[in-house]
Amino acid sequence: MNGPAHATTLGSDLAQLAPYLVLAVGGLVVMLADAFTGGRRKDHLSLLTLLVLLCVAVAQGAVHADPRGASLMGGMLAADRFSRFFNLLVVTIAMLTTVFATSMFERDGRYRTDFYPLVLFAALGMMLLAAATDLLSLFLAIETMSLAVYALVAGNRGSLRSSEAGFKYLILGAFASAFLLMGLALLYGQAGATDYASIRRAIEAAPAGGLLLPLACGLVLIALGFKVAMVPFHMWTPDVYDGAPAYVTGLMATGVKAAAFAALLRVVWLLPPVAEVWFPLLTVLAVLTMTYGNLVALSQNGMKRMLAYSSIAHAGYLLLGVLAVLNTSRDSATAVQAAAVRDAAGGAILFYLVVYALMNLGAFGVVACLSRSRNEEADAIDGYAGLSRRRPFVAATLAVFMFSLAGIPPTAGFVGKFYVFDAVVKAGLLPLAIWGVINSLLSAYYYLRVIVVMYMKPAEGQVHDGHSWEAAFTCGVLALLVLLLGVVPGSFYALAAHTFRQMTF
Amino acid sequence: MAFITDHILSWVAFAPALGAVLVLLAGRSPGAARRLALGAALADFVLSLHLLRHFAVGNGADQFVEHAPWLAGGKIAYSLGLDGVSLWLVLLTTFLGPLVILSTWRAITERVREAMAFLLLLQTAMIGTFLARDMLLFYVFWEAMLIPMYFLIGIWGGERRVYAAVKFFLFTMVGSVFMLVAILWCYQQAGSMALADFLQLELSRGQQSWLFLAFALAFAIKVPLFPFHTWLPDAHVEAPTAGSVILAGILLKMGTYGLLRFAIPLFPLAALSLGPWLAWLAVIGVVYGALVAMVQQDVKKLVAYSSVSHLGFVVLGLFSLTVTGAAGGVVQMLAHGLSTGALFLLVGMVYERRHTRLISEFGGLAHAMPRYAAVFLFVTLASIGLPGLCGFTGEFLILFGTFGSRLLPHARLLTALAATGVVLGAIYMLWMYQRVFLGKLGERNRDLPDLSPREWAVLLPILIMIVVLGVHPAPLLERLEPSLERILAPVAAVRPTESTYGLAVREPADQTAAAIAALKGDR
Repeated sequence: MNGPAHATTLGSDLAQLAPYLVLAVGGLVVMLADAFTGGRRKDHLSLLTLLVLLCVAVAQGAVHADPRGASLMGGMLAADRFSRFFNLLVVTIAMLTTVFATSMFERDGRYRTDFYPLVLFAALGMMLLAAATDLLSLFLAIETMSLAVYALVAGNRGSLRSSEAGFKYLILGAFASAFLLMGLALLYGQAGATDYASIRRAIEAAPAGGLLLPLACGLVLIALGFKVAMVPFHMWTPDVYDGAPAYVTGLMATGVKAAAFAALLRVVWLLPPVAEVWFPLLTVLAVLTMTYGNLVALSQNGMKRMLAYSSIAHAGYLLLGVLAVLNTSRDSATAVQAAAVRDAAGGAILFYLVVYALMNLGAFGVVACLSRSRNEEADAIDGYAGLSRRRPFVAATLAVFMFSLAGIPPTAGFVGKFYVFDAVVKAGLLPLAIWGVINSLLSAYYYLRVIVVMYMKPAEGQVHDGHSWEAAFTCGVLALLVLLLGVVPGSFYALAAHTFRQMTF
Repeated sequence: MAFITDHILSWVAFAPALGAVLVLLAGRSPGAARRLALGAALADFVLSLHLLRHFAVGNGADQFVEHAPWLAGGKIAYSLGLDGVSLWLVLLTTFLGPLVILSTWRAITERVREAMAFLLLLQTAMIGTFLARDMLLFYVFWEAMLIPMYFLIGIWGGERRVYAAVKFFLFTMVGSVFMLVAILWCYQQAGSMALADFLQLELSRGQQSWLFLAFALAFAIKVPLFPFHTWLPDAHVEAPTAGSVILAGILLKMGTYGLLRFAIPLFPLAALSLGPWLAWLAVIGVVYGALVAMVQQDVKKLVAYSSVSHLGFVVLGLFSLTVTGAAGGVVQMLAHGLSTGALFLLVGMVYERRHTRLISEFGGLAHAMPRYAAVFLFVTLASIGLPGLCGFTGEFLILFGTFGSRLLPHARLLTALAATGVVLGAIYMLWMYQRVFLGKLGERNRDLPDLSPREWAVLLPILIMIVVLGVHPAPLLERLEPSLERILAPVAAVRPTESTYGLAVREPADQTAAAIAALKGDR
């Protein structure tokens, strides 16, 4: 790993910052555009939002990642492949969210125009979070992202449950932020610096022992664990996922989770010296996260709640990957071997995050697609009965997403799990891999249930029959990608592993 | 044509999948979907005949090999191969494929397009499983097989189809996830997913035991071996006829194939020490399946339990760890595929006419449907192993190989117990035949039409093959034996010191060749 290269000029800094600047300015432009255009038709805002996101992607594509791993603004942000990878992922997630949201607004006939700038600011927060290599930028990024998401969760103003969810998320999120701040303060107190590289150096130089450092790291872990819905900091997840509009839930389950895991992966580099304390505890939490999520998901009758618990379980699988990364740093035969396994594990996490984003957004996209309106969301699983006859195409895409979430080949979900468990086995954590596959066995049951209802039950009573061409088409593309990554994942995984290898801190 | 013959295995494996895509795109009307599917399955059969024609007899190694790097820089590869064992199982699959589709003509009238697509996709997954020579590729095909079968049972099945479909899916998955961990562990040791590299692994006896158990669980559930068989009667009874035929005819063979191809040669020490336990379970299954079959009210359920009994024979033959016994096992797999496949087809035909399968509803059917009764009798006799028909060859070789096995403790006792299964098989099959076809013809069965030309077209090829396999199995065996010798070589290389259920220590022998010679003397 390269140390930070402080000697960057302002010009190249600005160039590297272009994606963030474009997004921030774009968000403001969309907000103003909303204010200055009257009338009831507001669908141009969605196009403008998509255009902004496209510009961000283009800007990101135009900026070459510095192979030396340049850090921006004096070590606040990293402009490495890792940031670039997550920036593109976040932009994709935001675009898909915009499409699903707009399709819902169209059915309502009422545009929630505050959605568009908020989703852009949330994306900005996520991108910054994935790039943050300094305690201060970490905090700012988390808050930027969270504030926007709080508002988005409560975005369905007519619905009490939505408001309740927003409020709950705000309160608990504030707690998490307090933990984070405390942890940051302690870390700063120990290290005397705020950028990760200096902190790592200070930690390594410091004599072993002492509780303050593990405590500080633990507090940061709690805050990030809150964002990724790690047990026991998951309490908010079901209610918030359930209460938020489906398209926002999709954004939270994929974007927020991905960004938080990116931050976690960067922070994990601070941990090895204190891993003796944190590794066993994190192991227990990962196991609990998987098991709890899957067990409770078994008995859910609402699609969004089921997916909420499933997202907790998936956080558990991802944590297994993090443990594999950590374990190789802890004890290993040879440094080269350890590095290889670490890259495999890191690549597996990145790959899984992308796959998870595709299949989970797809599932929430189907929910959005089938909802009649924002207040009549396609939530009850029983309402999916007979879907394979009413909407064979949409049903087929949802079946692909469910098989993928359950990890059945030939879908990307299987390949993702394969890479993660493979890394876990290679890192010498065989029992965790066994527990992981037992969990994916458990999860198969509730994912299959959705398919049973869609394909094997006749439609009766209240069924979901909303429709949106854009949403259905987007889901189709996502399903195709899930299948494609399930059959030929090789080059994409190589990219993910390469990205992880070049991560700077 | 070189374009096809150079990648003949891929073509055989994926022709049905192409057919499925075609059916989904162009099968607007049920008739078109059926015809397209039948065409694809027939084309696949013709392609597979190329394998039979160009298969080099006497060569036990993989032939028509295809290899392309897939993942992890080629450590995981798209690697296909075909040896004597795979050859016959692939041919069985492509042979039953068109017949199964033909059998759905009247049985499946709803959502025909999807049904045809799932049948074809299932065929691709099954053929892929038999051909894969890379462990991950094998696992992908193995698991992918679940999806179409799950839909076939769940959508077109009987009353409790959802229960049966989910049970089928979850039972199979229970076994396979542990196999996945075992594969991952071996992958880490071997540094590659190639089956050949797995075979080179040098593992201690303890390691082998755990890995063997993980693999054997997956396969034992699929076979299904007693006591993991409980999903089978549900799946069989609820599945549509086409599903039952594929399930009994081919899918169950995945389990025995897996034991033979992977579990035994990869972990020979464990196969020697733990194999006897499986052999006992197999014999228990033989007797238990036969006894339970005897008391069934439902013909289909009776045939389902007879599968438990017959597959027990196969597992016994495999764990005799002799070439003769294993050859008998493979022949029995084929024979069971033909005879039980035919039985399910026949049961399906009468179900289409009467919408019941209860034995008590019938009686004297031979008067109303004489040709049907004759065919049924023929298949019944094949199933119970009448000499000259296919069932006999397999059973004989299994019992013969097991009786002389020096690697299986209590081989003679096991053989004797299994032989009672043959007797019991004759009893329940003939008793069922007597109750259904002989005696007084009931009022409601008086006007049942006899076999239609389409039904003859479905049955006749199977009847011919039943005779061919029984009368002239030599071409089959001469292609099979070199491959079986290769597969069992790792076991033969282990010199047994004591033979009591893994309690004794077994040391690898220095003189591999001598041990193989000893094994050959065994035959």
